[in-house]
Amino acid sequence: MPDTQLPHADEDRQSPAHTPASAGSRLRLLGLDFGSTTSSMMVAEAEIGRHSLTGRMGLGEPRILHRSQPVFTPFRQQTLDETAISRLLDDWLQQAGWQPGSASPAAGAALITGLAARSDNARTLARLISERIGDSLIASADDPRLESWLAFMGSCATLSRAHPQHALINLDIGGGTTNPALGINGQISACGCFYIGARHLTFVPGSYRLSGLSATGQSLLHHLGIDKQPGDDLSPEEVAQVVRLMVEALESIASGDGNFFRQSDCHQQLVQVPFPAAAALDTPRLITFSGGVGELIYRHINGHGWPGTSYFGDLGVDLARAIVQSGVLSAALHIQPEHAGRATVMGLTLHSCDVSGSSLYLSHPQQLPLRDLPIISRLPADTGAGGWQQALALAAGCRQGACLSIEQSGQADHHSIRTLADNIRNAIRAVRLPPSQPLVLLMDTNLGKTLGQYITDWGKEPRALFVIDEIPLREARFVQIGRPHQHIVPVSFFGMN
Amino acid sequence: MKALSPVSEIRLPAITTATPLSIELMDASYHFRDLKHLLGAADISKAGERIAGLAAQDEVEREAARKLLSSLTLQQLYDMPLLDNRGKIDAIMQVNYDIDLTKFSDISALTLGELKNHLLASNGEEIRAVGQAMTGVMVSALAKLLDVHELILLAKRLKKSASAKARTRVGLSGTLSSRLQPNHPTDNLSGMTLLAYTGFSMGAGDALLGLNPAIDTVENISATLHHLDKIRRETGAPTQICVLSHIKTQLACLEQGAPVEIMFQSLAGTESTLTGEFDVTVELLDRAYNTMREQGPLIAEGAENMMYFETGQGSELTYNKHEGIDMATCEALCYGLARRYSPFMVNNVTGFIGPETHVDNFEMTYSCLQDHFMGKMMGLPMGMAPCFTLHSQITAEGQQMATELLTAAGANFFMDVYLGNDRMLAYFDTSGHDDQTMREIYDLEPAPEYLQWALSRGIFARDDDGQLQRGPNWGKPEQFCQSELDYQRLLESVPAAYGFDNAGPRPADEVTRTLRSNQAIAREAIYADLDRDLLAAIGPQRWLTTEATDKHEHLSNPELGSHLSAESLASLTAENSDVQIVISDGLSAEAVHHNIPQLIPVLQDGLASRDYNVGMTTIVPYGRVKLCEPVGEALNTRLIILLIGERPGGDAQASRSLSAYFAYQVTGEEQAEAAAFSGNPDIRWEYTVISNIYGGGLPPLEAGSVIAEKAMQILGFGAAGNRLEARLKQSAA
Repeated sequence: MPDTQLPHADEDRQSPAHTPASAGSRLRLLGLDFGSTTSSMMVAEAEIGRHSLTGRMGLGEPRILHRSQPVFTPFRQQTLDETAISRLLDDWLQQAGWQPGSASPAAGAALITGLAARSDNARTLARLISERIGDSLIASADDPRLESWLAFMGSCATLSRAHPQHALINLDIGGGTTNPALGINGQISACGCFYIGARHLTFVPGSYRLSGLSATGQSLLHHLGIDKQPGDDLSPEEVAQVVRLMVEALESIASGDGNFFRQSDCHQQLVQVPFPAAAALDTPRLITFSGGVGELIYRHINGHGWPGTSYFGDLGVDLARAIVQSGVLSAALHIQPEHAGRATVMGLTLHSCDVSGSSLYLSHPQQLPLRDLPIISRLPADTGAGGWQQALALAAGCRQGACLSIEQSGQADHHSIRTLADNIRNAIRAVRLPPSQPLVLLMDTNLGKTLGQYITDWGKEPRALFVIDEIPLREARFVQIGRPHQHIVPVSFFGMN
Repeated sequence: MKALSPVSEIRLPAITTATPLSIELMDASYHFRDLKHLLGAADISKAGERIAGLAAQDEVEREAARKLLSSLTLQQLYDMPLLDNRGKIDAIMQVNYDIDLTKFSDISALTLGELKNHLLASNGEEIRAVGQAMTGVMVSALAKLLDVHELILLAKRLKKSASAKARTRVGLSGTLSSRLQPNHPTDNLSGMTLLAYTGFSMGAGDALLGLNPAIDTVENISATLHHLDKIRRETGAPTQICVLSHIKTQLACLEQGAPVEIMFQSLAGTESTLTGEFDVTVELLDRAYNTMREQGPLIAEGAENMMYFETGQGSELTYNKHEGIDMATCEALCYGLARRYSPFMVNNVTGFIGPETHVDNFEMTYSCLQDHFMGKMMGLPMGMAPCFTLHSQITAEGQQMATELLTAAGANFFMDVYLGNDRMLAYFDTSGHDDQTMREIYDLEPAPEYLQWALSRGIFARDDDGQLQRGPNWGKPEQFCQSELDYQRLLESVPAAYGFDNAGPRPADEVTRTLRSNQAIAREAIYADLDRDLLAAIGPQRWLTTEATDKHEHLSNPELGSHLSAESLASLTAENSDVQIVISDGLSAEAVHHNIPQLIPVLQDGLASRDYNVGMTTIVPYGRVKLCEPVGEALNTRLIILLIGERPGGDAQASRSLSAYFAYQVTGEEQAEAAAFSGNPDIRWEYTVISNIYGGGLPPLEAGSVIAEKAMQILGFGAAGNRLEARLKQSAA
């Protein structure tokens, strides 16, 4: 659902909090969102530093340098129009003043969803992006949980921290999917994905004359007994039936009612990634919206009139109106997220990259960046020798390198850190991990250098070992470790399926 | 702004040899080597004067000194300029002689005692006129004859006509203003924004929105100035902005178009301190003044004063560049220099340095009253910052009593540091709550331009009797945010804020309790002694002592902790080790207790991995950083690693923060290279430091390997400090 014609009230507003300091070390951040319908880009800049409250390294004082208007993703039938995409990328980068050779390092991500994520399209996009940006970006295709996570972070992270006593459920409603995420006090605990979106039925703008139907759209009409094809007009009642079913589905997502999606094949087909987390909540919940439909909802709440019938040639306006009418979904519409219409690209730009601590163990910094490393396992620090051997055996099979996450739940001491190092070193020896094969260890506590020194006997055992600390461990399948910059490395997770 | 008169045209007395001065009191004779010693002895006994050997031995000697001082005429004082160690009148003393000579001729024959009597019977106008005919030395001498009531009374009379005008007029009768100081440890713009909003919401900042920067570069200062300007414009608060960086940095910023509305500089009362330590000369100050006079952004708004100076008793003494002059007189000499530039503000910061200058509430309070009087007497728009660090014995209660007395004396402004806890400079000052409380107790109002704005914002309101009251928006920083989320983002950027709830003009009790308990824990860290039983667990160790024999001596005189006691020194012989680990409490024994047990085993493992010859771990209570050198020389060690407790600020966790100082002894070719690199031909030691070692910063387990790695670099490259960093960069390239 394009929102190119909607003025953005917050387009260039920057609170004082967003004004940059010239001092300090900065990272340029780029987010690219390519979907079935629209694509957009954002460029920001943030300072790398230790947070004065949490003490963790991180990105602060973000400043949006440029954000594109969403544009229709250029396809030729089902295939991306490479020439048009190239021109689009060049235009965006030029508008953003992006200098490939700039002294300040870059990080960021491209998210490729829907039709754009078809393997040939995704490869084309990855290549075109890499040619222009270099190897500092990750490109993630068809990663619905990541999309939900990003939309929450892009629109609700601060809001959630402002309401720490509430569970905040954000529904990111776009053209093809609704991506829910649940977070408390800024921490996301669950993500899902459902085929509920504004463009499963498309119309000739200004009417309900069908111009297109997705597979989900066909299934919905069939389930509702509506026998209409492109070129036919839907009656207002038929549109209301479709929208009602969608809103009931959204209400079920928000309340965690899994039974709703077991009613029929049609209902089942709406589920891509289930989202049962909302059912077990014992804290009061707030429901927020992002995506194109979210943008419409909050525009209305803020006093703007509704656009006309199928103004965007889809169900967006009808869906937004029905959500506002829903008692379940509209209870907290006065609490508004930020950047609703651009939550995903905002999340991509500002939240797809974490910054490590500043005391790391990097045996071969020149080998960085390490791309697309599989996260083999996530193990507690007190895991026994056998557990480490199993994990390292899997890592040994990854010739390009692999990553293990280490959870440090209790307080580490000299004995425990030495035991952990001994276990890992013994496992490395047992599985005969080649010394040149990169092994990345991720930790959330600040112990990276000490652990790395003990594993390698203070550097006397040569090994391509990278111990990256102060990184929040995420449920992801892949990680990318960027080039070191002033003692830190940027870390990006993807593959949250 | 007036044109400056050339310094070369200031008439000076002839230089004569110092005259001994003596007096009989009862049956005893009291002899003072010269006027410097007489001035020192005539003051109350302060820690700084005791260290400098200038304080009177007892109360009788002090009164003898005062009696002698009282008998000297102003002409005699005029004829005895205080010379520097080269026997010269330094540039600051010279500027002090830029007085109203016509008025001086009227009073020159008066003794100081007669002058005091005359002033106590005079109105403000006459007192001010007399002040313009006095040098700093004369004013300091006069201050030493005044008791507390007299210091307050005369200063109060001087409040009238002591105002200065930039965008706002500060210092009018019936007003009390404040300088809002939104300092942040990392110059975080969101953090300073919230603190500025909070101050404005409490009616503070009418004198200045002024930040002490953590990073003094033209780029950072310029960006910060633009940010403060943006805050000022967006809130509409009528005030002026300043970033308190070096005057050279501000001139460069102004040249680049940054809004340097007020030009700041710290002053000292001796040229050797001002130039040798602050890198400032009278010529540079003249240039800055003339630049502001011609290009100051506030000229168009009718500003009459655009300079801002900070002073405070003791800085000359701590650099050991006081030229034998007592702290109060050095301070008065600062005022004689400041007077040349008709400043908008002079802020006196007393208690900031620590117990080596003012050890307790009495010393701090008395110096504040002296300084406030002396500054006003010399025609300056004096604001006051009675403050303290946790390693002195000054308490929050003592600071509050000083604030009350200074309000009674008519101080133009106080500081507004949120909750009094400066997040960047680790000291405690007055707060916006204190400023408002003083206004309510003494029926005072902010500067008139600012007050109109604050009334329009509902920060203040007039009651039916026309009395000023806190308005419905008082103490609500969120009123300046564009949204709840903007406010939330700002809240996430300020450490040690403890809450924003208020009870009338005071912080809500739960906020105060958190603040004070954090202070108490931090102070306890200083006064705790090293725990031998706890440290026994780290393995073989030897204990040595410094020249400081107890905690009080250690805190009051930093020099004592820089030397080994004679007994300890005699016990050491050359061990020729590569590395020697030394542990000292420094200013926080708790830092040692909470970090050393985890840090030492990792550090020892790291050093052992390189087969270094490591001396037995040595523990020295009451030590300072310079202790590295006598220990290293006695043991003939290449590298000393001193693990020492840092000075606690107001955060309970951070009071457990440890630093690792690496002192590398350069000899032979390395010495020649270090001498060439540093420009110091006599260099013997190079230093590197790793700080902030504690659970909330660099945790001790991780610090062990970070320190070991740095030791390997130092010994590998044969260099420390900036020379090591240069070698590392060279090697990486």
